[in-house]
Amino acid sequence: MKDKENNIYDDPRKIIASALVEAGDINEDVVYISCDSSLGASGDPFRKKYPERHFEFGIAEAAAMGQAAGLSISGKVPFITAYLPFITYRCFEQIRDDVCKTNLNVNILGNNCGFSVGPLGPTHVVLEDVAVMRAIPNLTIFAPADGPQYKAAILAAMDIETPVYIRVHRNKAPRLYGVDCRLIPGKADILKKGSDLTLISTSSMVVQTLLAAEILKERGIDAEVINMYCLKPVDDEIILNSAEKTKKVITIEEHTVIGGLGGAVAEVLAGTCSAKLAMIGIEDQFAVVGDYKQLIDYYGLTPEKLVPRIEELGKRL
Amino acid sequence: MAELSNEEIKVLIEKSYNSRTNILKMMKNGEGHIGGAFSALDIITVIYNHILKFNPEKPKWKDRDRFVLSAGHKVLALYAVLADADYFDEEILWTYNNFDTRVPMHPDEKVLPGIEFPTGSLGHGLAVACGISLSSRLDKRDFRVFTMLGDGECGEGSVWEAAMSAAHHRMDNLTAIVDRNGLQVNGTTETVMDSSILEEKFSSFGWEVRTIDGHDFNQIYEKLSTVPFVSGKPSCVIADTTKCKGLAFGENKFEFHHWHCPAEEINNAIELVQDQKEKEHSKIER
Repeated sequence: MKDKENNIYDDPRKIIASALVEAGDINEDVVYISCDSSLGASGDPFRKKYPERHFEFGIAEAAAMGQAAGLSISGKVPFITAYLPFITYRCFEQIRDDVCKTNLNVNILGNNCGFSVGPLGPTHVVLEDVAVMRAIPNLTIFAPADGPQYKAAILAAMDIETPVYIRVHRNKAPRLYGVDCRLIPGKADILKKGSDLTLISTSSMVVQTLLAAEILKERGIDAEVINMYCLKPVDDEIILNSAEKTKKVITIEEHTVIGGLGGAVAEVLAGTCSAKLAMIGIEDQFAVVGDYKQLIDYYGLTPEKLVPRIEELGKRL
Repeated sequence: MAELSNEEIKVLIEKSYNSRTNILKMMKNGEGHIGGAFSALDIITVIYNHILKFNPEKPKWKDRDRFVLSAGHKVLALYAVLADADYFDEEILWTYNNFDTRVPMHPDEKVLPGIEFPTGSLGHGLAVACGISLSSRLDKRDFRVFTMLGDGECGEGSVWEAAMSAAHHRMDNLTAIVDRNGLQVNGTTETVMDSSILEEKFSSFGWEVRTIDGHDFNQIYEKLSTVPFVSGKPSCVIADTTKCKGLAFGENKFEFHHWHCPAEEINNAIELVQDQKEKEHSKIER
């Protein structure tokens, strides 16, 4: 937790806004697509600097995704963004057929993942996107945990010549990484070494997990903490090595326990490792309405609530 | 007015009916979407013989005109025409319905030269064509983009999202052709989902629209060779066609959207198509 002590908190949207401009500076084929959202959040600087490379396609995500594919097959590198459910579920088949089947360099930014926008209710609070998107071949999924990782995700997505989906959380995140960190598909990071059990987390839950691990340490449990910033492909090696060491793995995610990070880790462990696995996330349900703090408390995802859950699971595993 | 000579029309008749014959030969390997392929075939034949700028030896030539077959199930027609245009060896056609064929029931751009985009799920191609159209603007290239939709396909909302975008972004290098054969899987478009009046719909979405007889080579050529009809607007050609055109017992029957052809009927069907070809020739000679 490099700069956590310095209390540097980054707004993911501002980081993405400047990273998109940087991507546009580096690569003249980068284009930015908005669907009547996100300009104010992260697209405006790009639009102002490169107005001819910004396309507004309105509230019409299916056609927007198809147009992104058409631009990409013609050599462009689109970043397309909207509220998460609209830029994933609404145009799911276009993502599958037009972007992923063709294996194009289309980069999808799903804004406001997890409980980012809890007051808007379950139409906007999506807790299943990883499960849904992870099933599509050819798609790389990044779930950055802090500002530098968001920047790195944008630049990595530009360079990866195949489709990338980036989950964007709205909350400001304390800085965990150095500003020049890189995101590599299929890789994860051990943020804290430990020997008693393995905690694997992603996105906004990484910092909560690190804070929980600090409390656990004071209580005599030495947990290893892994930031699974790439949810597809996941880092098999880091999972298996840690699981072989601790024999107990707990995944922690702001997402349904069906098919998300926990599911991905289960797929790695199944049949190859004797370690036991438990998953902490949201049970099979639509979210209740509340703000972020209320919701992570309600669903037991604050460090204070994670600690007893981890201790209990640690005993059972 | 752009017009084809009688000799040119006779060549087109020869090509389009030979393509129909080749499609029937492909279907010796089993079922296929013959109805839409035959309704679209005269248009696609004109497109590849008189409209598009392309080079089969350089299928990814950056300045080529693009043809995106949005109604991907009509691809039997495109396969036959691409083979005739020397994109690939005709022998590939005879692998239709074989394991791992390069000519599957819906097109795959990764395995066959000349296929611009993999389609099959309806309602995708127009948006993709829009994206390709916009890329020409960014790259300052003057290629044109043509796409073909079915009239049944126009039930998809994404078609109208893309139609709106094409007009909003003034894509005047984009032409959408609607193969209006009036039939879809479950019956007539009128009874399944009435998409009429397509002319008014596209027009109200900001397109410049023309209606043609989709089996009249001169009308097809005249309209497609004069796009854009209006500068700054996308062009739409609504082509009235006959489903399964050229095969007498299948014409205008929705059951021939996807024909599970008995093997013993294929040779008879080929004979009927050849008979029709002679009739088309004699019409010109008259």
